[in-house]
Amino acid sequence: MKSKLSNFLKKIILFSILIIPNIVNADFFENISNKIVNNPKRLSYGISVADIDQNEKYEFIVTGFGYPNLALSYDKGKLINVNSQKIFSDKFRKTIGVAACDVDRDGYEEIYFLNTDTYSGTKKYSDRLIDLEGKKFLDMFEIEKNKEELNLTAGRSVACVDREGNGEYGIYVSNYGGPTRFYEIEDNKIKDKSADLNLDKVTGGRAVVSGHILTNRSDIFAANERGANFLLKNNNGLFEDVAFDYRVDDVIQNGRGTTLSDILYRGRLDIISGNWLGYHRAYVLRDEKFKDIGNIKFDKPSRIRTIISADFDNDGYDEVFMNNIAEPNKLFRIKENGIFEEIILETGLEPDGFGTGAAVADIDGDGILELLISRGESKEQPLTLYKAKVKKDSKYLRIKPLNKYGAPARGATVTLITDQRKHSKTIDAGSGYLCQMEPVAHYGIRKNEKNFKFEVMWTNGKKELFNISELNKTITITQK
Amino acid sequence: MKKISNILVFIIIILFNFNSFAEEKNYHKELITDWSRIFPDQNRNAAGPKFFKYIIDKKITYKDFIEFNKLYCAVSGSLIDPGSEPDFLFVNESETNMKICGNYYKCCIPCSCDIMKYSKVQKMKYEFIDGIKEFFVFTIKNPCNKNDFPNRVNKDYFCDGNKINDKQVYNLNDQIVIGLLHDGRSCNKDEMDYVKSHQVTGRYCELRNNTPLENLDAGMGDIFIKLAR
Repeated sequence: MKSKLSNFLKKIILFSILIIPNIVNADFFENISNKIVNNPKRLSYGISVADIDQNEKYEFIVTGFGYPNLALSYDKGKLINVNSQKIFSDKFRKTIGVAACDVDRDGYEEIYFLNTDTYSGTKKYSDRLIDLEGKKFLDMFEIEKNKEELNLTAGRSVACVDREGNGEYGIYVSNYGGPTRFYEIEDNKIKDKSADLNLDKVTGGRAVVSGHILTNRSDIFAANERGANFLLKNNNGLFEDVAFDYRVDDVIQNGRGTTLSDILYRGRLDIISGNWLGYHRAYVLRDEKFKDIGNIKFDKPSRIRTIISADFDNDGYDEVFMNNIAEPNKLFRIKENGIFEEIILETGLEPDGFGTGAAVADIDGDGILELLISRGESKEQPLTLYKAKVKKDSKYLRIKPLNKYGAPARGATVTLITDQRKHSKTIDAGSGYLCQMEPVAHYGIRKNEKNFKFEVMWTNGKKELFNISELNKTITITQK
Repeated sequence: MKKISNILVFIIIILFNFNSFAEEKNYHKELITDWSRIFPDQNRNAAGPKFFKYIIDKKITYKDFIEFNKLYCAVSGSLIDPGSEPDFLFVNESETNMKICGNYYKCCIPCSCDIMKYSKVQKMKYEFIDGIKEFFVFTIKNPCNKNDFPNRVNKDYFCDGNKINDKQVYNLNDQIVIGLLHDGRSCNKDEMDYVKSHQVTGRYCELRNNTPLENLDAGMGDIFIKLAR
């Protein structure tokens, strides 16, 4: 009798394990916030990852709203602010959005700080476009010839767009209550080309991402509030809004965190878009339309801010991190066939956290991504830093594409091709809500995975295939 | 014993599967997703009929039809949050003038008063994918000949010249169907008394329905009334 009961219980346990595939209970993250040197309570917003001082190391650039912008660099096991220049820290301009890219084609990224001192409409202080001259930062908008093009409208996000695929980045500024701006450098001068490109629409701009969404050029998806989203299809450098046709206009929801992700591991980028207290979307392109395949746990309305798609735990499957404000964060693993499996967080849950931004980078160079979360808005809080608990035998691969000028090829798509998957990642152009990730495609390696190759689709649409001879390294490739 | 234990395990698995994997249809999300298809010009004023037509044109079950029809306001054209409570009320049947009682899902309470005063109900029969069903629907008269057709309502949604636009709204015996009366049936005395004495359908509606049109600012104001009267 005893053995029969024990057999019965064993069966129950076995089947329970088999039938609870959509929730995973294990502490996923480790809190390593103690690595941040001098981490006071503050109002922080967007975060970007870029090399601010041209030393070939990335920094987390953390914006401050009435607090200084920071450049957190990893040194001797600690994250420490390495910026001491006032024009960068700019405490009084209330920065919320940030993105970096090489707008002047010198091989180094400039930093666009989007300042917002009012909720909507006309603002007092303009944005900054920070360039490093020697060892000194300067604001390109403060140069006399550029002053007529200042952005004096409240905004949220910024993204870099190489619309012609020639390495000449423009900056899409998602404004709120005023026209969208699109800055490019022409004849050595900053010019707003939004009107010429039919981008100067007035909306409640929130998030914007750019990459190979529909075409082999940089398309744009902008998630808006109080109006339809834009899906801007790139037709040889000009844009056509096809959001309605592709069913991503989502008119009566209020867009927030947005990211490009290969949801089906099929070698193309789809769109994950969170809506403020609305249904979060996992848009997958099928038959010339995007279909939302998010399940009931994934799409549950929340006070969503930044959304990140990345492989935190190096298992070869991407996770989706949802940073909520004044509400617990969420994490999902994207399994095969677009199944979103919730990972129940303990560390990193931040139920009382006022999350306003987040970004990932392998800032310490150990092959595991760090997740930096900024917080603030209505309550001063310190930054938090997390890292996934990774299996000891886990492997990774990091691909860092540089364009023909030697700058990060933001907007390019890297696809890892193996016997198990064809997995695309965008080199983040920003700004899936105020933030921008490191310009590296980071892959964990799956169990028993083999035959590794990768392909890069550059921003001009050309593809190059590369063999991989060794794992656990960062491979840097430069566009010919 | 072994057989029983296997059967028990099997039953538990089946039950668990239903709980874990059954992805319930999200009617609200579907309406939100298709909102710009239903209202291409983004004007949903008094456009409950557009929702009704969109829903009934889908190939759906009767259950789906019922659930979808809980999520918009027949008077205002607003979406209603899932889980909202309906008002129990009565409306006159067009043919018999008998009082028909049922549940009405509204965006706000003035709409309950407007639907009681300015709409009628008709019995409608329709074939869904799971069979033919009968139910009561709210209707309004053909508004297309009105000189004072409310200018904040998209007339093209309702009218094709002087006729009802059958492509955009559902035409039932030359009346426009604006929504579904849930659980509709002939009222009994207790139900009539309940509606008449209820603080919304009784007292508040009496006040609203005796307020001059120009003084109405709650709910849809006078927009629906001008369309339906």
